[in-house]
Amino acid sequence: MSEKTISLAMGHDHRGLSLEQEKVAIEVRDWNLFYGKSQALNNINMDLPENRVTAFIGPSGCGKSTLLRCFNRMNDLIDSVSVEGKMHLHGQDMYAKELDVAEIRRRIGMVFQKPNPFPKSIYENVAYGLRLQGVNDKKTLDDTVEWALKGAGLWKEAKDRLNDNALGLSGGQQQRLCIARAIAVQPEVLLLDEPTSALDPISTLAIEELIFELKKDFTILIVTHNMQQAARVSDYTAFMYMGELIEYSDTDSLFTNPQVKRTEDYITGRYG
Amino acid sequence: MKAWFNKGEHWVWFSASAVSVAVVLVFGLLMLIAVRGLSHFWPHEVYNFEMVSTTQSASEVVTGEIHNTRIKEFDNPEKPGYQIKEPQLLIKTGNRDLYGLDFRWISEKDVKDQAWSIAPGISVIERHEWGNLYGYVESISKNGEIVAQGQGVEQALTKLIAASEKLRSEINKIEKVDVGAINHQLQSLRYEQRKLEMANKFTQADAQRIEQKKAELEAQYQTLKAGLDQMYVALNQQGEATILVSGGKQVQVPIKNMVRAWQPNEMRYDQKLGFFFGSIGHFLFDNPREANTEGGVFPAIVGTLTMVVLMTLFVMPMGVIAAIYMREYAREGWLLRLVRISINNLAGVPSIVFGIFGLGFFVYVLGHSIDQLFYSYALPTPTFGTPGLLWAALTMALLTLPVVIVSTEEGLSRVPRALREGGLALGATRAEVIMRIVLPLTMPAIMTGLILAIARAAGEVAPLMLVGVVKLVSELPVSLNAPFVHLDQKFMHLGFHIYDVGFQSPNVEASQPLVYATSLLLVLVIVSLNLGAISIRNRLREKYKALDN
Repeated sequence: MSEKTISLAMGHDHRGLSLEQEKVAIEVRDWNLFYGKSQALNNINMDLPENRVTAFIGPSGCGKSTLLRCFNRMNDLIDSVSVEGKMHLHGQDMYAKELDVAEIRRRIGMVFQKPNPFPKSIYENVAYGLRLQGVNDKKTLDDTVEWALKGAGLWKEAKDRLNDNALGLSGGQQQRLCIARAIAVQPEVLLLDEPTSALDPISTLAIEELIFELKKDFTILIVTHNMQQAARVSDYTAFMYMGELIEYSDTDSLFTNPQVKRTEDYITGRYG
Repeated sequence: MKAWFNKGEHWVWFSASAVSVAVVLVFGLLMLIAVRGLSHFWPHEVYNFEMVSTTQSASEVVTGEIHNTRIKEFDNPEKPGYQIKEPQLLIKTGNRDLYGLDFRWISEKDVKDQAWSIAPGISVIERHEWGNLYGYVESISKNGEIVAQGQGVEQALTKLIAASEKLRSEINKIEKVDVGAINHQLQSLRYEQRKLEMANKFTQADAQRIEQKKAELEAQYQTLKAGLDQMYVALNQQGEATILVSGGKQVQVPIKNMVRAWQPNEMRYDQKLGFFFGSIGHFLFDNPREANTEGGVFPAIVGTLTMVVLMTLFVMPMGVIAAIYMREYAREGWLLRLVRISINNLAGVPSIVFGIFGLGFFVYVLGHSIDQLFYSYALPTPTFGTPGLLWAALTMALLTLPVVIVSTEEGLSRVPRALREGGLALGATRAEVIMRIVLPLTMPAIMTGLILAIARAAGEVAPLMLVGVVKLVSELPVSLNAPFVHLDQKFMHLGFHIYDVGFQSPNVEASQPLVYATSLLLVLVIVSLNLGAISIRNRLREKYKALDN
């Protein structure tokens, strides 16, 4: 059982947040990414704060998802992608040659746009990551599955059907199952790639509340198309445009007092 | 009408009729082989045909089953250019040892009054040699004394035959299993000695040990043989039956030579039905007799199934692993495209070419090398350097490999990318994702490939003739002696059996129904193998159904 526990959020307050005072989880320096010859990310520099929710917003094709996938090196899977620059997780070079990619992915979990549970039982879905790490002890697995499902707010609905196929769950439940699966291995960072874009409003609300609670234990990076969602759930927001990081500050400032004209245009709906 | 055409209805009818033609053909084919094949097992009535004397033959009574009919055309001797049409009957007369032939054609007009009657009380006796005997059982004698005659002689005969058949199967079991095991051990001893001699390590102690073991086995054999001899004596003393055959001749038939006897004209419908299923049982579980034209096809069934199962064991891993490499690891490019095209073309190569390859590469090259390396003690008798089960299964695996690769690749490409990423994002390696997520999802597609492979392999004959199938084997490819599945042995195969019985047999008429029956059996074997695979596939599909949407 983990020493991390999920405590109830006491309310959402952005005031008084400032990037300078935060502990840094991930440090990005001079980051460039190319698809073949075309550049998709251009000289990104940012510090991502620990135990906070950071949202990435921007119009389609701005590179926000690409950047997110850089954090757990999912872009490695695409042959034509090449990267330049530095990325550090708690001071450790994430792109070091001798580093095991699987290890980085274990420490930085990811939830995808479309719920993608494995065609196994609910229990096995959540236990999958642990089994990969060689954990086979029944008690440990049981405890962790329960903890993760509780953490993902799915325990009440799923506890009586742990051995049912996960594909029988609804879309929103499946997405929460994917979150449970991701947090079961207790990553340091949780990447959410438009986690609610395929879900109905009720499920979306459930996931947003969940994000709010999860940030006590995890550093959360979320990509979203929905600016209201970014404003609701995040502490910090980064606005990206055409592969560049245009503006990055605490959410309140960015939405109420954007420093860059392009940010203002976007959040006021002039394009995007 | 014009509106009907405009709506395009005629195209619907057109394509529907194409489907019906296909359906009718399939069912027609199945019906034909089923009717022809199964009627062989039915106890047909035996008739007496009283023949009038003609220029060719004297008057006589022909007794037998009606086997077939035809209309024979003769040139009319009185009106040149015209023909006489004459209906003829093919009569199965049996009694090959007496008449030289089992069958004869008779013209209906030569039968007195063109009418024939059921022969009351006649017995049909199936024999181990010389085929069926048709006649009336007069008496049964044992050691020169008459033990049964007149009323109830048929029942007595049935009982005696059952006893003699039981004795025969016991003898058979001892010879095949017990004596077989001793032979197997003696062979191993001989090989052991050869091995030691070749390594120049054959010592006096070894010689003594082997001699001693040989003596033990010999002693075991002698006890068995004594028992067997007694049983043979008992078998010979089962007595004999005096049978009156048509033409008023009496023949003596030893009981030990009989398989069974029945009175088709006296049987009720339910008895006939029982006989029918009994005959099917004999067909399925007996060894063939009389150059395969009689008896059962058990060794061919076992051979076919063993070969198909072995082939599956070879082709599944080979095909699946190849498909995984091509789909998951290999870089897309001209080389991969070339490989894919080659694999697809491999599926179009005529099967006999695979047979030649199997013989040339597996048997001559691989087999000879294996013999040189591991079985040199048995040379010059080849062990694997001769056609056999292993090479047949491998050749068939090669033949069906493209099917498995193509359908597995297809299945792999259908696994959503999101699932792979989900696995990878949890810290799984690529191999772990393939093993634990992708492969289980691909199982239905792999099963589809397997179904196609089985259907193709079980029905293939031509390449097998080159790499291991023979007309008749004395031993099954699976036995109780280690290593239980004898990869080096030759085996029988239903497909080849059909060819052999149908086209290589001297007794065409007798073997014809067997050809149909064996064909039906082969179809049923393939269908049941497929149904098994399909049911597994459907269960898997059901499990992953929700993924498709």
